[in-house]
Amino acid sequence: MLRFALRRLLIAIPLLVVASILVFVLVVNTGDPLEDMRTNPRIPKGQIALQEHKLGLDQPVTVRYWRWVSKAVHGDFGKDNKDRPVWPQVKRALFVTLRLVLLAQIIAVLIGVTIGVISAVRQYSWFDYAATGISFFLFSMPIVAVAAFLRYIGALRVNEWLGRTKNPLIKVQGDRTFPSKCTPNNPGACGLRAGLYDFATHALLPTLALLLITYAGYSRFQRASMLETLSSDYTRTARAKGITERRVIMRHAFRNSLIPVTTIMALDFGAIIGGAIITETIFEWRGMGRLLIDSINKIDPNILLCWLMITATCVIVFNIIADLLYAVLDPRIRLG
Amino acid sequence: MSGEPILEVKDLTVGFPTDDGVVHAVRGVSYSVAAREVVGIVGESGCGKSVTSMAMMGLLPRTARIGGSIRFRGQELVGAPKKALRALRGSKIAMIFQDPMTAMNPVYTVGWQLGEALRAHSDLSGRAASKRAIELLDLVGIPQPERRAEQYPHEFSGGMRQRAMIAMAISNNPDVIIADEPTTALDVTVQAQVLETLLRLKDEVNAAIILITHDLGVVAGMVDDLKVMYAGRIVESGTVDDIFYRPRMPYTVGLLGSLPSAAGGTDRLTPIKGSPPSLLRLKPGCPFSARCPIVRDECLSVEPELAGVGPGHLAACVATDEVAAMANPKDMFHAPPLVVAGSEADT
Repeated sequence: MLRFALRRLLIAIPLLVVASILVFVLVVNTGDPLEDMRTNPRIPKGQIALQEHKLGLDQPVTVRYWRWVSKAVHGDFGKDNKDRPVWPQVKRALFVTLRLVLLAQIIAVLIGVTIGVISAVRQYSWFDYAATGISFFLFSMPIVAVAAFLRYIGALRVNEWLGRTKNPLIKVQGDRTFPSKCTPNNPGACGLRAGLYDFATHALLPTLALLLITYAGYSRFQRASMLETLSSDYTRTARAKGITERRVIMRHAFRNSLIPVTTIMALDFGAIIGGAIITETIFEWRGMGRLLIDSINKIDPNILLCWLMITATCVIVFNIIADLLYAVLDPRIRLG
Repeated sequence: MSGEPILEVKDLTVGFPTDDGVVHAVRGVSYSVAAREVVGIVGESGCGKSVTSMAMMGLLPRTARIGGSIRFRGQELVGAPKKALRALRGSKIAMIFQDPMTAMNPVYTVGWQLGEALRAHSDLSGRAASKRAIELLDLVGIPQPERRAEQYPHEFSGGMRQRAMIAMAISNNPDVIIADEPTTALDVTVQAQVLETLLRLKDEVNAAIILITHDLGVVAGMVDDLKVMYAGRIVESGTVDDIFYRPRMPYTVGLLGSLPSAAGGTDRLTPIKGSPPSLLRLKPGCPFSARCPIVRDECLSVEPELAGVGPGHLAACVATDEVAAMANPKDMFHAPPLVVAGSEADT
């Protein structure tokens, strides 16, 4: 098992190297960060050349890659077009996104697995039909529609119904109320409880939007996986032993049904770090998704590079986690 | 051999409702098993032999409609509460399945799975159960049982896994072991070893065996009483000698003709043409009539009942005398079957 884990970790190193090369080539070809300056006739050529030299754009791509990567491995991702350090910006966006997606993902996993298992155990019951119908509906909905619908219903209607049109309870903009500093003038932002409350009122709708779409997929996947293990020969053997049906379901069918589902979920965790771009946009969160869009629009190579490397690393790390979980759950993998 | 019957099946019927109607998988099967007896059930795939055994174990899907009676030591199993059936499963009536590759849970060690079977019907501690599991593995002839108990099913060969399944089946000293095609998935050389192990341990725990197979070669050496099933019914029943040397039902004759014989030498194998009838909409008359080379008019209207053709030998055919009079009954399948109007349908 230890050797298995070590081997997976070692494979991650060349993967990261390849990822960094790909990312660099892609970003370099995204556009010219000095386009604004070049198209502005009032800026003298000399100044553009100076800026080009400063950003290293006059060097060959290989040299630029080497300069960037040798700093990046030490955690120095350079500065953006406006000379601000990149890493703090990406870090802030990362935390905003994590607060949103992690909670949604964890709840989606719990609900999805539970509903999937009950659906499979009671196949063709009214519960199964209802759950399958609802999740099929949600699964086929674009997240834009779900998020916009929630924003309308959740924010406007519910706040209206609560009689809080002036000071809405459920917030639809951003991840916190400004000013968020605890001052004598702003006692509402003081203490952990107030902070959590404020976060909850902001996070409710976007979390719900992500949750609804994600759980739908998981519950369908879990149901299919569970149906397969329930009808497997070893489940029949377990029943033939005369153990309780509960034990047959939990110890044999459920335990085995988690093998494919866990892998998918771990991979999803890695992928969502890149942000829920649409949800973040609709609810105006300044997370990873927003940062990506902004830096593409402004052609800000260092932010893009940092962003892509962080998300690539997350995907690779969660791939390793998925592999390890797979090996933990399935002894047949450990030797392979 | 025959003593007090411990398991009595009477007029057992099993139907599976489908969108197209009810599939009558078992249509009135009756037989009994005495203590320590070995009963063989042979027949083609889909003849209802496995469904019969699953009904005994209470393992049929909820949708199955079960009629008739299955009595184990006087206790009625058809319609019995789930809890009562569960108490019998694995303890009094145990089962060995066809495919040892998939019959064990891949994520638990073999020892753990044996221990689970033991602990389902006793108050054994985890420690005692794993100790007993090792003893059981030793008993079924698995070398290095201590090490093997810690291994997962995928680390076992097919024959080893089937031995482990036998160990699981005998773990609670059952009265009846149902072996559903226990050697079908195994190499021929391993088949004999596994069967030998099964017979040896049956004597050790004093169990009766119901051996379900489509392989007549498997039953020849070990069965006391043999039933031939076709289209959900028993069509012939008797000792191995009765069935092998004095078959009276054309289907049995056909089965024997499909069996390669080491002694027979140059005889061509003669398959039974056609396939078994659909159990969804069974026509009146003998279900074998469409494939039978000596079919008569009356075969198309009335399904014959099992009737005695010798001491302890029963056959369900109107032409048993005709078959008995034949010098070599197998030859009837060489001739093209008579085409009778309506008999070709449903195949």
